[in-house]
Amino acid sequence: MESSDHLTHVIQAYIDRMPSLSTTVNKVLEVCNSPKTSANDLNRVISLDPVLTGHVLKLINSAYYSLPNQVSSLARAIIMLGLNTVKNLALSTAVIGALGKKSCFTALSMDAFWAHSICVGVTAKALAAANNVAGSERDEYFVAGMLHDLGKIPLNKCFAAEYAQALQLAALEQGSLLRSEQLLVGIDHGMAGRLIGEKWRLAPSIVDSLAFHHAPEQAPADSRTLVATVALANLYANIYEIGSAGDTFPEAPFLMSILEMMDLKWTDLAPLHAIVRMELDKAQVFLKLTE
Amino acid sequence: MMRVKFWGVRGSIPCPGGHTAKYGGNTSCIEIRFDDVGRQIIIDAGSGLRELGNFMMGHDLPKGPISTSIYLSHTHWDHIMGFPFFTPIYLPSTRIEVFGPVSHESDTLETIVGGQMTYRYFPVRQAELAATISYANLKEGRFDLGDGITLTTKYLNHPILCLGYRFEYQGKVFCTAYDTEPYQNLFCTDSDSTEYDEGMALEGEVVAREQNEALESFVAGADLLVYDAQYTQGEYIPGKVGWGHSSMEFAIAVARRRQVKRLALFHHEPVRTDGEFDELAAIYAQTGDGDGPEIFFAREGGEIIL
Repeated sequence: MESSDHLTHVIQAYIDRMPSLSTTVNKVLEVCNSPKTSANDLNRVISLDPVLTGHVLKLINSAYYSLPNQVSSLARAIIMLGLNTVKNLALSTAVIGALGKKSCFTALSMDAFWAHSICVGVTAKALAAANNVAGSERDEYFVAGMLHDLGKIPLNKCFAAEYAQALQLAALEQGSLLRSEQLLVGIDHGMAGRLIGEKWRLAPSIVDSLAFHHAPEQAPADSRTLVATVALANLYANIYEIGSAGDTFPEAPFLMSILEMMDLKWTDLAPLHAIVRMELDKAQVFLKLTE
Repeated sequence: MMRVKFWGVRGSIPCPGGHTAKYGGNTSCIEIRFDDVGRQIIIDAGSGLRELGNFMMGHDLPKGPISTSIYLSHTHWDHIMGFPFFTPIYLPSTRIEVFGPVSHESDTLETIVGGQMTYRYFPVRQAELAATISYANLKEGRFDLGDGITLTTKYLNHPILCLGYRFEYQGKVFCTAYDTEPYQNLFCTDSDSTEYDEGMALEGEVVAREQNEALESFVAGADLLVYDAQYTQGEYIPGKVGWGHSSMEFAIAVARRRQVKRLALFHHEPVRTDGEFDELAAIYAQTGDGDGPEIFFAREGGEIIL
């Protein structure tokens, strides 16, 4: 196995030119090129693509604008910097994506990954609402959920053969993908996620949810509720098999401990099903996707 | 002491002629002189910069080489069009620093400002200019300009990245905030609409309020505030929302709320005639003797000492 320094270096080199999901690129180009785009449409189209969302937040939080406070929601960015600036940021980033196409998803299915990401974003937001998180903060839950598995993209691209084996091993053992990644790639998607979050200078709470969504108890106290919410949303998506990002076999004890952390019962989650389905359908209609 | 002089007060496009002779037809250009330390700072390179350049050739050049800084609020054309006609750029002895905001996806400041000077648009190319000109991209922040001058910059609400400037010197504050309009919730707030999203709508409200608050704090207590007042409220509401300019009524309300001492209404609508300004002045202008700020419409050639 290669040294972890070398693995980190390979992944870091990939992160800056990480392509968008082509599932959404055509729609991004359409929405951002239209002079009549509404703020709602712009927010929606960017937030439907985890890579693009990360890139746009990265640029907004970069030294380029040197804003005094970190911006963790797209809605905030759109009002602060204006529709045109955010549109242009998205356009310039989506072009990178258009070059990437599906080739960056060798072992994982891109469409399934996208559906999984949306499902976790939507579920995290719905859980936040159920937990009485203020309306204006729920977008951060959505973003954190949407981005949580970003770390899988460079793993899947940079170490395609090893990653395919890791996915097979997890399926064969009916066990944790995180463990298989550690065994066969030498770095897991939480670690890779943290590298992305830090390199893109995403808000600390978002970085924590990339890094710790498989171990929310290790997240810093400030972001633990957010991370635990994302972790639960992730389990929800995996158990109900809405989309797929390779984690097919969530561990039961882990689920119980998160429910306990969140002071919830599994049955409390059942009512979310309708909301999640509806949001996913809306997103697909918005993107004019065909199954 | 700061001496502030208006060389151009219009928005959008120069509008010379008999109907604009009193208030002036040139686009944005403001000069600040710090006589005690021999410094000059220019805000914006609108068409008013041409006259200022000519004045500097007669007034400053005989005393020695010209050295100045130009701070651009943004790079829309009415704020940079005077640059090719600023005579000091053709003198080898001149040194100019140009600062301004540029969006991430744009060209560099040098390309945007200097791009006016290609044979397609102008007989002299940027590369042929004799003066030493440096360009620097400016962001939000607080900067020590030396000689006891402090500059704070703040992003405004305009269709492109745009900065307001707050200069502090010897206990006095001079502040600009144009081109800008009140931040608004850009997201759909009609809960019956198919576009409606509660999270976006709520966050939009919070952020717009926060940003308006931040901008007001930025101008608070200014001894002289130059604020965007392109429209009347009657003109703004029906058709100009989102264009990046404020109403006179809004500018006045901000100045009152934030204990501004003098308010110059600025970036005038090009179609507004001197007669119309006099009528508006009768309604809005104040001497500042009583409560509240002194309020006036900025006039080309007008000078204020702080």
